[in-house]
Amino acid sequence: MVKNTIKVERAIKNLTQEELAKLISVSRQTINSIEKNRYIPSTILALKLSKVFGKNVNEIFELESDD
Amino acid sequence: MNQIQKELNLLPENFKKIAFLIMLLTVLFISLSIFKVIEIDNRLVKKIAGSTFLLSLLILSITRNKIEDELTLKIRVKAYAASFIYGVSVTIVFPLINLILKGSFESKKGVHELLISMFIFYFIMIFLMKKNR
Repeated sequence: MVKNTIKVERAIKNLTQEELAKLISVSRQTINSIEKNRYIPSTILALKLSKVFGKNVNEIFELESDD
Repeated sequence: MNQIQKELNLLPENFKKIAFLIMLLTVLFISLSIFKVIEIDNRLVKKIAGSTFLLSLLILSITRNKIEDELTLKIRVKAYAASFIYGVSVTIVFPLINLILKGSFESKKGVHELLISMFIFYFIMIFLMKKNR
């Protein structure tokens, strides 16, 4: 599994799920699913997120120890 | 990302209105024939209504939603796959059920009924997967 720090990064940037969703052209539910680790985004979406947060993709997404 | 990877080629959102209009006209057509306002052979009514209803469901299923992203695309593809598996399973299992219950492989269910039930299954899957995303 892949875990992520989107919720934390979003809080740092003071963004709501809706605002973040608009920034990367997805639905709010998609952001929610990614935050809850129910959906692993594509590389493109991960890169868009990294651009918004100004961090590398592997700083936001990390493989869990068993993978 | 190329076009195939990016998204399915879906119809614009306003095609939903066309689909619902076709559905409404189908219901109207069936009602008119039931109440004998128009005199058409029942089998023909069934055939026409089945085809137009199927057309409206097809248009609905390939019309884009307000927000289409990679998760909704994944849900669509999964729902299509699930409804295909459902269709094949029903085609295999129904004759067996008929054989057990009625002693015959023959079924009165036609292609229209099968495809309509597949579309209904598809919409149920979409609804459930979107609810649980």
